[in-house]
Amino acid sequence: MQYTTPRGFRDVLPQEAALRETVSTDIAWAMSAWGYVPVETPIVEFAEVACSLDGGKSGFRLFDSDGEILVLRPDMTVPLARVIATRMRDMEGPLRLRYVGPVFREEASLSGRSREFTQLGVELVGAGGALADAEVLGVLLDALDASGLSDAIVSVGTVAALSAALDATGMDGGWRQSVLSSIHGDDLVGLDALLADPALDADLATSIRRMVRLRGGLEAVDECRRLLMGTGAQAALDELAEAIDILSTSYDVESRIRVDFSLLRSFDYYTGLVFEVFAPGRALSLGGGGRYDDALATWGRPAAAAGFGLSLEAIVAALDPAISRAVDTSAEVVTGGEARMRFARAADERRSSDVAVTLDLDAGVAR
Amino acid sequence: MIARATGKLRIAVPKGSLFAGSVATLAGAGMDVAPLRDLGRHLIASTADVDYYIVRPTDVPTFVANGGADCAICGKDTLLESELSVVELVDLDFGACRFVVAEPAGAHDAIQARYRHHGVLRVATKYPRITAAYYDSIGVQVDIVKLHGNVELAALTGLADRIVDITATGTTLRENDLVVEADVLESTARFVANPASLRTDPRVAGLATALEMHVSNQSKGGHE
Repeated sequence: MQYTTPRGFRDVLPQEAALRETVSTDIAWAMSAWGYVPVETPIVEFAEVACSLDGGKSGFRLFDSDGEILVLRPDMTVPLARVIATRMRDMEGPLRLRYVGPVFREEASLSGRSREFTQLGVELVGAGGALADAEVLGVLLDALDASGLSDAIVSVGTVAALSAALDATGMDGGWRQSVLSSIHGDDLVGLDALLADPALDADLATSIRRMVRLRGGLEAVDECRRLLMGTGAQAALDELAEAIDILSTSYDVESRIRVDFSLLRSFDYYTGLVFEVFAPGRALSLGGGGRYDDALATWGRPAAAAGFGLSLEAIVAALDPAISRAVDTSAEVVTGGEARMRFARAADERRSSDVAVTLDLDAGVAR
Repeated sequence: MIARATGKLRIAVPKGSLFAGSVATLAGAGMDVAPLRDLGRHLIASTADVDYYIVRPTDVPTFVANGGADCAICGKDTLLESELSVVELVDLDFGACRFVVAEPAGAHDAIQARYRHHGVLRVATKYPRITAAYYDSIGVQVDIVKLHGNVELAALTGLADRIVDITATGTTLRENDLVVEADVLESTARFVANPASLRTDPRVAGLATALEMHVSNQSKGGHE
């Protein structure tokens, strides 16, 4: 008999659990303030459903007594898409949904990685364009503020610009597929080799090469515009600039938002805005998201959609060094009085004035 | 996840055959590498701005992907084998080697006949993922035997039909009477970065640019 948890899973003891609960609640409040309402989905999904968008990265599979193959959900986006496309199909949009819950990912043995995470996020369904993009980023910035991570940096980009540039090359689908898999694999060396194809316009190739290395402040959007002049990328870049512009009315975008056109992961899934959140000075992504206007169509309910997911574990880890959020788990203790009843009543009175009270059970036995 | 102890840029440098080339390349890109040249048995060499971590080559992707280092120099072969999430930024154009399939000289027809009869080849290698990906791509079914070194022995002793291994000059293969049956892929040293470090620390992208310029000047100069 081994009295440990399986690898990559762990127990959370009261002090940390209280911190997690506080952070989670504060983030939920920030999301609620934008009109996002909670939704819950089961921890298990049919394998067929769970693998429809993620290509089968979900690791934990089980059979039920009907012989169905079930998986522990590897993320929240697919379950949300399912419920939006089915039971919420006829609801008037736009839908503003928030969620929090555990997700499970198989990781290779001896990699030192967790296999259970708590994901917090929102989905904004049935609205597109710069204003909707700005809303999602605004909710994100407020959620970060609420968690105590106002110094987190949000890197934003758009996959639509690269899409348009690739369209402009006129290269065939096989080449394009190779380009996308280099980008998915974060392999800029492989991408350069593909861009060296002699069939490709040399200037356009240079522009794409420079574009995927472009990051900085708002001026990076203008630089990208210059690079991709005449490719059809302008509309996407205008939209990105407009979203950041809208955001700048309420937030210090200079210090919180960084434009980054190298941010192109999960390209096949996102259709426009993409972003990722980093805690400064730590090699740690707190989460990310973007716009995926085509994803719901695969469920038979085409609708514009954008959202993000944050990892509660990553947020708490980023808070940790400073212990910037001491959570009060203390409570007053009422020791025994003359009678059992008075003892309980005294405790009750204190509780109703929002003071935590525990009973001293030994002393509380009235003599 | 490891917190940053200092504000220094943390660069993992592979020990072994890529070490000298790594030091020369970093120097060429304008980095102060003096402490790397006088290392002794230290595992960390520091300048005022940089901590160099001396890492076993196959562990480099693990350090970078998990945030133990911001960036590193690493062989493409190791990157492919690790399948970890790092951003590959610059081909540094040194440490070239190629992956080949090798077999005992003169054994080719016998091995092919055995494959036709048996339907599965047995292949020994230090690089099971690269090997599996290669045989998947050509549609040949193999049983892979993972070894940790002297892989040539597997083919010589009959432990495996063929081996997949790296070769720079082919000398080891020749001396052990093995011949190249097929080319799998070519590898050179790469500059890689942790995705978060690349996006939050401008020094990483700056070093990538400096390395790229150094490599391009080197190749224009016509020497390694």
